Amino acid sequence: MKNKIGVYVCMCGSNISDYVDVEKVKAEAEKIGGVLLSKTTMFACADSTQQEIANDIKDQELDAIVVASCSPKLHLHTFRNVAIRAGLNPYNYVQVNIREQGSWAHSDNPAQATEKAIKLVQAGIERVKHSKELSTVKIPSENSVAVVGAGIAGMRSALELAEMGTEVHLIEREHFVGGRTSQWNVLFTTNETGQEVISRLYNQIISHPKITLYTGTNIISKKGSVGDFNLTLKVNPRYIKPECKLDKKKFQEAIDLCPIEVDDKFNFNITKRKAIYKNYDSEFPEMPAIDYEACNKCGECAKLCDEIDLNQQPEEKLINVGSVLLSTGFNPYEPPKGEFGYEDIDNVITLQQFKRLIELNGGKLIYNNKEIKNIAYIYCVGSRQVDGENKYCSRYCCTSAIHTAILVKEKYPNINNFHFNRGIRTYGKQEVLYNKASEQGDIFLQSFEDAPTQVEKVGNETIVKIKDILTANEELEVSADLVVLVTGMVPRENADLVNILKVPIGRDKFFNEIHPKLRPVETVIDGVLISGACQAPLNITESVKSSLSAASKVNSLVSSGEIELEPTMAVVHNDKCTWCDKCTNACPYDAISVTKVNDKEVALVAKSLCKGCGMCLPVCPENAIDLIGYTDIEMESMIEALID
Amino acid sequence: MSKSEEYDVLVIGGGISGVEASLNLANQGHKVLVVEKDLSVGGKMIHLSKVFPTLDCSACITTPKVSEAARHSNITIYTYSQVNDIDKKAEHDFRASITKFPRYVDEESCTGCQVCEDKCPVVVQDQYQYDLVGRKAAYVPFSIANPRIAAIDIENCSLCGACERACPADCIDFTQEKQDIEIKVKSVIVATGFKLFDPTLIPRYGFGLFKNVVTSMQMERQLVPTRPFNNVLRPKDGKMPDNIAYVLCAGSRDETVGNPICSQVCCMYSIKQAQLLLGALPMADVTIYYLNIRSFGKGFNEFYQQAKDMGVTFVKGKIGKVEELEGGDLKLRYEDIEQGVVKEANHDMVVLSVGILANDGVTSLFKQNLELDQFNYVNQKDLLANPAQTNIGGVYVAGTASGPMDIPDSILSAGAASSETAGYLRGGNHEK
Repeated sequence: MKNKIGVYVCMCGSNISDYVDVEKVKAEAEKIGGVLLSKTTMFACADSTQQEIANDIKDQELDAIVVASCSPKLHLHTFRNVAIRAGLNPYNYVQVNIREQGSWAHSDNPAQATEKAIKLVQAGIERVKHSKELSTVKIPSENSVAVVGAGIAGMRSALELAEMGTEVHLIEREHFVGGRTSQWNVLFTTNETGQEVISRLYNQIISHPKITLYTGTNIISKKGSVGDFNLTLKVNPRYIKPECKLDKKKFQEAIDLCPIEVDDKFNFNITKRKAIYKNYDSEFPEMPAIDYEACNKCGECAKLCDEIDLNQQPEEKLINVGSVLLSTGFNPYEPPKGEFGYEDIDNVITLQQFKRLIELNGGKLIYNNKEIKNIAYIYCVGSRQVDGENKYCSRYCCTSAIHTAILVKEKYPNINNFHFNRGIRTYGKQEVLYNKASEQGDIFLQSFEDAPTQVEKVGNETIVKIKDILTANEELEVSADLVVLVTGMVPRENADLVNILKVPIGRDKFFNEIHPKLRPVETVIDGVLISGACQAPLNITESVKSSLSAASKVNSLVSSGEIELEPTMAVVHNDKCTWCDKCTNACPYDAISVTKVNDKEVALVAKSLCKGCGMCLPVCPENAIDLIGYTDIEMESMIEALID
Repeated sequence: MSKSEEYDVLVIGGGISGVEASLNLANQGHKVLVVEKDLSVGGKMIHLSKVFPTLDCSACITTPKVSEAARHSNITIYTYSQVNDIDKKAEHDFRASITKFPRYVDEESCTGCQVCEDKCPVVVQDQYQYDLVGRKAAYVPFSIANPRIAAIDIENCSLCGACERACPADCIDFTQEKQDIEIKVKSVIVATGFKLFDPTLIPRYGFGLFKNVVTSMQMERQLVPTRPFNNVLRPKDGKMPDNIAYVLCAGSRDETVGNPICSQVCCMYSIKQAQLLLGALPMADVTIYYLNIRSFGKGFNEFYQQAKDMGVTFVKGKIGKVEELEGGDLKLRYEDIEQGVVKEANHDMVVLSVGILANDGVTSLFKQNLELDQFNYVNQKDLLANPAQTNIGGVYVAGTASGPMDIPDSILSAGAASSETAGYLRGGNHEK
């Protein structure tokens, strides 16, 4: 038992001390047997306090420390490192959370917040008394990563990781790479098109010896954990032989022959395509694909060219990686029928459809056989919803809509742009676009969320109405030839992936990071990282920054060849174990199997798989399992202190 | 005195971006030198109260990172130092000259006990409290400074010698001289951050004339745990304000002051301060005068909504003029855009939400001339695929040196800069 314990009660500036009487907590801690010193501190995490704690450990020969401050999620490792620097085993340190679980939760009741803090600190002290010297478990790690999603974020991080020497498996669900970026033409602040950016990345990816690209591929199962993930991939057939050198003429003939027509997702369904397709000429990989869901296998195309093989079957592949980086991107919000006339009124389309429309149109801007003159953009569709679930701002849409309006005006100088917005958010340097749109004569009209813009069909006309706060709430209307719904971002459909990898989802349904400032690209699942617009709405530059940040973190994690794991793991007392198998079923990580020790069947915990969740403990009828770091005696002493 | 040193990377600026980039590179095994012009690393972030949208205390996030960098065996930090010039001789070969200015305190032996501060008879304005209060000429910059050691402000020092006599560690040394250091590095990261807009350039807002008109940074300092008054007070008479106005876009989105772009952070920090003020002064009213609220990032719009729900008043209006009334209250003349009329409103304290501007002098450091964009931020040559790349191969930009951005974006920007730098150091094909 530890009996020279140091206790540090943090004020967290005033975050804690405004509600918790830290002096009282300190005084109560001092009274407990085994506590050698008890102090309060303004910021326990500040450099000078860290030094003070380290000095105390050395000078007073402390054998354990307790820091009562914020959540261990924030600073567990900060203080473990203090212990290490001072020569104390880092597991003889317990962090007690009196901020998130104390002052912040009970800001309405300082007296009881203080009382709770005292109890929590007492329990922490009791636990640390029974703490053992532990060391981390080192397991070998593959210097490899599965990057999921070959949009701009996935492609960019794949390339950087490969250059850092990490083996990359780049996995794309579609038959072609490039994600959303390849669907956009000229991109803001550059004269480069989305397809050009994707081309330059693709050419490097495909020639890089450390990158394997899988298209038409899903992850269907996962075993193992950080350092050693075993992923099963399902590679769907492309029905084109791998070495295909299909010439353009033949390909066109095959397209002409194909009897199947489906909505062209690449053009957001404003056009149709055949079952054999390429989304655009210079798309990658260069060979076409046959949409296996749409194809009826009539075989007409196969008669034309030998490169087509309709007998291809889905294949399963097993890959072993140290880490998984998700960059699965976003979907445009899909308005339900009737929202601002969508799918009810024939000239209402989304911004993404409009962007494709401009690219596909020639000398005149035509939609539904009608030449377009007045365009009404309705902002915040699917974002900042009052009644709907999407409370967030989609960040990119104001700039994207204005940028599109500028491009369309440049291409068709006679059109008029009317922006029905809820406050333009062209943050940072993007402001220049807003100014430019105003200068070119675009009209901006604004309402608050309580008075949304109205779209109505009146005779042959589509009327867009607003109570415009920029003209003192005057009712204004425009007869629009085209209504463009500036739809925001929602995450891609990722239910399978979420289920397989157990990635945490935030309130906004995007993947959630551990902390937006401290660990912005990591998730609570060790070894699973996120980047790009699957985490939150981001524009291309922001996605790339995030993907490069993630590349750095992945590489630091897997490149050394070994990963340190917490020693918090289940351990089986072989003498008590009767191998009833109950623990195997309780384990969510498949970490328990059976082994023989001296001819007796007992449970065996695989160190690399055990997460220390403790699920196996309560089901064991013999009480034969203990959790290192949370042993029964530690837990019981904490409970005693709390109920005392 | 001149000496010569070698590192893999020179990081100019020890704010959050510079520190984050340094940590990433150091963790990958690269040797990094951080040069910080100030007495402490931590940049602007270390002076903030809580940060949006999580309301985490800023110090709790900054100090551990700063402290990790300070202790990292692959990182060397020179505070109170400046980079004079950088010359690229060849790929992976940059020569730079650095001057380390004297603190007149021996860095190794100072314990930060502040006895010198006690004894020093000279009081001047405290730049770290944004001139709200005074400090001594012998001083520890601020309580969570890193390094937390004293310095002598020689410009203001009366050379009385009181500090020298009082110092228990005997570490005050008036004979210290500036030190010139020649360094050779393979790559450079520019993380020089931003400067705040000077509101005296808009005289009609009355900053500098009317004491109860303060900048948002001065308000921020009144809200931090180490706040000078331990409460929010009006500077003119020390009264607790109960009707505070925020003037957004002070120096942003304003061609007349030469800054047409949006500063990207002021809406959010003002909304945050408003929420903190409602906590600190439960009886106070807070009104935010804005053009557009730009709460665009993850969790930001929800944070804006939360402020509305807490009772912060938002008025879509452009402030024309601020006048002082008898007793120190202020009259705001503004265009109420929604109603289309010019109105007046009285408040007892006005906070100017000042914008952020590019720092000067970055481009002249480089013999090869670092390109700037039209707003004087470091030009990002390949925004779509290599966002940290500048016009000089091997020189990368991190954080607000490349444009206005908030803390989460700065951290990601630093991550990108460190990845791209690592790519360059490996000598691979670094143009992607």
